[in-house]
Amino acid sequence: MAGEAQIVVQGVNHTYRPSHGRVVKALSDVSLEVHPREFVALLGPSGCGKSTLLYLVGGFLPTERGRITVEGKPVVAPGPDRGIVFQHFALFPWKTVRGNILYGLERQGLPRPEREKRAQDFINMVGLRGFEESYPSQLSGGMKQRTAIARTLAFDPNILLMDEPFGALDAQTRSLMQTELLSIWNRTPKTVIFVTHDVQEAVYLAGRVAVMSARPGKIKAIVDIKLDKSDPGLLRSKEFVEKTDEIWNLVRDEAIKAQGTVTT
Amino acid sequence: MQTAIRYLPLLLLALGWEVTARLHLVDSSALPSLTSVGAAWVDLIRDGELIDNGAASIYRAAAGLALAIVVGGGLGMAMARVKLLDLFVNPLVELFYPLPKSALIPVTVLWLGFGNGSKILLIFLGCMIPVTIGAYNGARGSDHALIWSARSMGAGRLRMMWDVIMPSALPEILNGIRTALALAFILLVSSELIVSQSGFGYLIGYLGSTGAYEGMYAVVLTVALLGFGADRFYQLLMQRLLRWRE
Amino acid sequence: MARVDDQAMLAAAAADLAPEPARRFDAAFRFGAGLFSILLMLLAWELFARSGKVTPFMLPRFSVVLAYIYKDATSGVLWINLGLTLFRALTGFVIATICGIALAVAMARSKIARWFFDPVISVGFPMPKIAFLPIIILWLGVYDVSKISMVVFDGIFPVVTATLAGITAVEKELLWSARNMGANERQIMWQIALPAAAPQIITGLQVALPISLIVTIIAEMVMGGYGLGGAMMGASRFANSPGVFAGIVEIAVVGYALIKAMAFARRRLLVWHQETADHN
Repeated sequence: MAGEAQIVVQGVNHTYRPSHGRVVKALSDVSLEVHPREFVALLGPSGCGKSTLLYLVGGFLPTERGRITVEGKPVVAPGPDRGIVFQHFALFPWKTVRGNILYGLERQGLPRPEREKRAQDFINMVGLRGFEESYPSQLSGGMKQRTAIARTLAFDPNILLMDEPFGALDAQTRSLMQTELLSIWNRTPKTVIFVTHDVQEAVYLAGRVAVMSARPGKIKAIVDIKLDKSDPGLLRSKEFVEKTDEIWNLVRDEAIKAQGTVTT
Repeated sequence: MQTAIRYLPLLLLALGWEVTARLHLVDSSALPSLTSVGAAWVDLIRDGELIDNGAASIYRAAAGLALAIVVGGGLGMAMARVKLLDLFVNPLVELFYPLPKSALIPVTVLWLGFGNGSKILLIFLGCMIPVTIGAYNGARGSDHALIWSARSMGAGRLRMMWDVIMPSALPEILNGIRTALALAFILLVSSELIVSQSGFGYLIGYLGSTGAYEGMYAVVLTVALLGFGADRFYQLLMQRLLRWRE
Repeated sequence: MARVDDQAMLAAAAADLAPEPARRFDAAFRFGAGLFSILLMLLAWELFARSGKVTPFMLPRFSVVLAYIYKDATSGVLWINLGLTLFRALTGFVIATICGIALAVAMARSKIARWFFDPVISVGFPMPKIAFLPIIILWLGVYDVSKISMVVFDGIFPVVTATLAGITAVEKELLWSARNMGANERQIMWQIALPAAAPQIITGLQVALPISLIVTIIAEMVMGGYGLGGAMMGASRFANSPGVFAGIVEIAVVGYALIKAMAFARRRLLVWHQETADHN
């Protein structure tokens, strides 16, 4: 994992100033480096600003104080190099599964036959063959999220930004999706920043876990995860449990602090 | 201050009107200046024309609307509680709901001529529909628990309607009345424009036909602003009446 | 505050439009029951008119009215009147739709446009805009242009209100996803925001269509001439009682047909929407 950092976050602060309601400082002097093809988890309690950090890297929010660069260039706007996947899927409800996936490819100006083939490949890859013409309202939560992931992967971003993508799913589906995500990532390795509040999920998926403090968010600690992800008994292994404990200890105090503060 | 900025565009439009008229950018007879319209308005007040006709119009609208509220409200609530009534009347309401109420203008004129009677009947019939629907929907949603406890306390049907059903049905009834209010204005102005010997609509037509365009504009704006004002006032009333809900 | 009022007005108008979701069987049953009641009412009409309790002038028999309509249909007069009224109402409706959506888009994109038109809509919505008909006639004459302009003037308000409400309510994640995929502002508005707002926009159209018919008929009654409204008013002036009632029946049928057509269009266009999905 050595070499030049692909994503550099330096001294970033962010404050929400809504037209109605209180001013909220979400991030305080956050710095982080992410290397190519790394899987980094941003872990922290509710309201700690982890999603905010993700949105800043994605270019959906303007970086007011501090710097964020991707491959050397500062982030000024969203773009297809940093694909995002949202917790509530954000599928276009009037488009079919195929239509959703095709949208990004159309924006890229790919010729038609190539678009169709690529879309079908990704539909197959996430296991949705046969549901191409279904509308999101006809799909289960897990299927919707698979569509969302396929949609983002289809336009081949170098970087994947995932905002608690499995948070809206039931526990069983979540567990299956985690395994699937790892398997997809192993096949088409991309740089991933994965936001979650679930310690186990972070340890299972990521190579490095950045633990964030309660609001205003700072990076409290960065923990390396050196576990063999291909081990089928991983979740029960001593190393996994120890790692989870270690990280939970870091998070616990922050979670308690977060309970006391008002979440927006 | 906030309100001033919010409504500033209207002031700008008024200024734009005045400037356009003064500079004769449009045919001056078709667009008299706002100030001359204002002067005509004052004249109409002074010689009583606006007041007399206005009173006639408001009387008609108020009478028709009041009848519609009482009868429609009662009917709607009764329909919600008496299954047989519901069965027979509901399809009729559904039938007349999509009927453009303006289609009733010729028949009311046929029956009652050009005077007050036809207009009051028109507004009554037209406005009854939204009030009935509102009362019906509102009464249907009445909390069963409230009704049963009232009944166990010995409340008769009529008493119950007043004490229990009406308050919980109030928001929907009030919304129905709001629709009826707007409809009353439309039916009033329409019928008076078409056939009348008095009232706002008649005055507008008369002033228009005699070429007194400043006066015509004055009355048109008066009616329009009355309609707007009535709605705003009614909203305040609604908020007050529904205060306990929040 | 102002924006909430407009939407409240729209909601009040639209509240009765969307029928409660009914399963297919329920819908068929209600239709059958409704049909039965209408037939019953027509029967009652006929019997009551024959009973002698009212004069044929006050309430002509339904059979007489039906014969009148048939006569108009065969002579062609019915189709001329119907065609004209529909032409005026639908032309006005289409123009109101296009201009209304365009204005709402402009208001969504430009703060100045928003600031300028907000009070105009807020004040204009509850006004009896029909009062402006004489002014429109003064400017544009006594032909179709005035009638259609009146329809546009009345119809544009619900369309703008509904479209703007729909656009501003689109989840930001949808817009962000589109931007993520490289869509520019224009593409986001037309390819994402408007389709996402389609349910609300169509509700606005469902309110505007009956308004278009009502206004057309009033305008025709005021100005006279051909058209369902003009014919009806003419019949009234000539004390032609069957003619007046024929007009009511014709307009009722047209009004009903338009509402049903709009509801059908809604189901087709929004086949992807949750409310349609609930039916299946």
